[in-house]
Amino acid sequence: MRAVIAEDLVLLRDGLARILRAHDIDVVAAVGDPVSLAKVLDEEQPDVAILDVRMPPTFTNEGLVAAIEVRARRPGMPVLVLSQYVEQLYARELMRSGAGGVGYLLKDRVADVGMFVDAVRRVAAGGTVLDPDVVTGMLAHRDRSQGMARLTPREREVLALMAEGRSNAAIAGKLVVTGKAVDKHINSIFIKLDLPMDADDHRRVLAVLRYLQADSA
Amino acid sequence: MTYRHKVASEKAARATARAARRDAIWPAILRQESVISAGIGVLMLVIWAGTGGAFWPVWVWFGLAIPLAFQVAIRRALRAPKGHRWLAVHSEISAVVALILVVIWLLTGAHAFWPVWPVLGLSVVLVGHAWIRRSVSAGREQALTNRVEVLTRTRRDALDVQAAELQRIERDLHDGAQARLVSVAMNLGLAEEILAKDPQSVAELLTEARSSTLTALDDLRTVMRGIQPPVLADRGLEGAIRALALGLAVPVTVGGQIPGRPPVPVESAVYFATCECLANVVKHSGAQHAAVELSYPAGVLSVVVRDDGSGGASLATGTGLRGVARRLEVFDGTMALSSPAGGPTVVRMEVSCELSSPRT
Repeated sequence: MRAVIAEDLVLLRDGLARILRAHDIDVVAAVGDPVSLAKVLDEEQPDVAILDVRMPPTFTNEGLVAAIEVRARRPGMPVLVLSQYVEQLYARELMRSGAGGVGYLLKDRVADVGMFVDAVRRVAAGGTVLDPDVVTGMLAHRDRSQGMARLTPREREVLALMAEGRSNAAIAGKLVVTGKAVDKHINSIFIKLDLPMDADDHRRVLAVLRYLQADSA
Repeated sequence: MTYRHKVASEKAARATARAARRDAIWPAILRQESVISAGIGVLMLVIWAGTGGAFWPVWVWFGLAIPLAFQVAIRRALRAPKGHRWLAVHSEISAVVALILVVIWLLTGAHAFWPVWPVLGLSVVLVGHAWIRRSVSAGREQALTNRVEVLTRTRRDALDVQAAELQRIERDLHDGAQARLVSVAMNLGLAEEILAKDPQSVAELLTEARSSTLTALDDLRTVMRGIQPPVLADRGLEGAIRALALGLAVPVTVGGQIPGRPPVPVESAVYFATCECLANVVKHSGAQHAAVELSYPAGVLSVVVRDDGSGGASLATGTGLRGVARRLEVFDGTMALSSPAGGPTVVRMEVSCELSSPRT
């Protein structure tokens, strides 16, 4: 797998590259600003881009803006946005840039190297990965909204883990239940959120989107 | 020295130079006028000595003296301190006019002292002017006194708030991130020491060190949000309030917009004021829904927070709201609270400020 990194702090850029290389991910370029990122994306055609939210020139949310632009130019281009802080607002904006191949994580998560590398691979494969903090915040917010009110606490937990981009097996492992039980919960979520029959992966993404975009209009 | 200061001081220097030139020229002109007038006066005297008759040159002298007298009087008056100058001019002119009338009375034979009436009239007008002047300046003085009182209080409040804030940040860092980093350093030091003989314990120490680091990061994030939330810098007031609203347990609608960015301190104060109001909504109001309305009518940044809760909030009971009012007062901002028992609660915050063009 070929990845590019855009992060302005050299220390973190090198650290990220080291971690990815140690897990057989080929870091073809590591740059420090959005302009260079656009250039290496054209030159290298990587499988995934990992971006820091805060980059030059204004050090606010260039990374987020760049990620959305990249995905507007090449729909479905997998991007994983890292940040020292997470905002639901930004998660929504990222999700609106198209389903799948998108991730938004706190930088802290990199410390759990296994989980981080797994997240990179899942995003590159077209999955959706959201930081648990974003998901928790959304759950708290959604408690009063309509579709969510119909879910049981267990189903909400399952949906939260789905939003974090976990597989059924991972969800089963985390909640210490059988895979079958997870299937049952997920089906129940699809029904309660009124999601059309479709390929399972697509419905998972839809469930997360529904959940994110309920009142964002 | 900044550019602005430089311009101001140059301006002041030019004004002083102009005044000095004027001071030098005026007496010279006055001297020349006096010499010419004296010459004309003497000439008239000579002519009268040659022709004889009634002593008419006194009228010529009188006529020549009038413009000189006015000039001297006005020059004196203009030396009065600013603010009293018009009154001084008025009183000097009145005095000269009175003098002229008295001289005319003397020259016309000093019969019944008729000048008493016009002089009385002039005095009444002058006294009236002085009285109005005094009451106006008393009013202005009162207004200034009030203003100084407000500024003294709000400045003290601002410093108190700032000191308390710094103290809180120091404490949070000391008890949080700093303590955790100390424990990380201790764990790593220990791990280094026992690396060779007890790898199993080292693994545990490393796990603990990593988890302490993550908690330290959490602590730092919390402290940073309290100082200046990154989303406020990124997206301005409107975006930051929208982001805040997304994370609250009570659904909040955010409406309206501001056509630019207020100055950073105002933006920050209004943001934290709004945070406090929304925190109150979540904690105390029992509301099902809240709304924040932003606008910028006629140079005033206005944020209205309303909820459909049970009401009964008051500045007397809620230290939070009082703090909000104090924070805004520093910028001459106001907070109005309406919260009848049974609701709804409406908090209206207004700060007049200029906006910079929106950042792109």
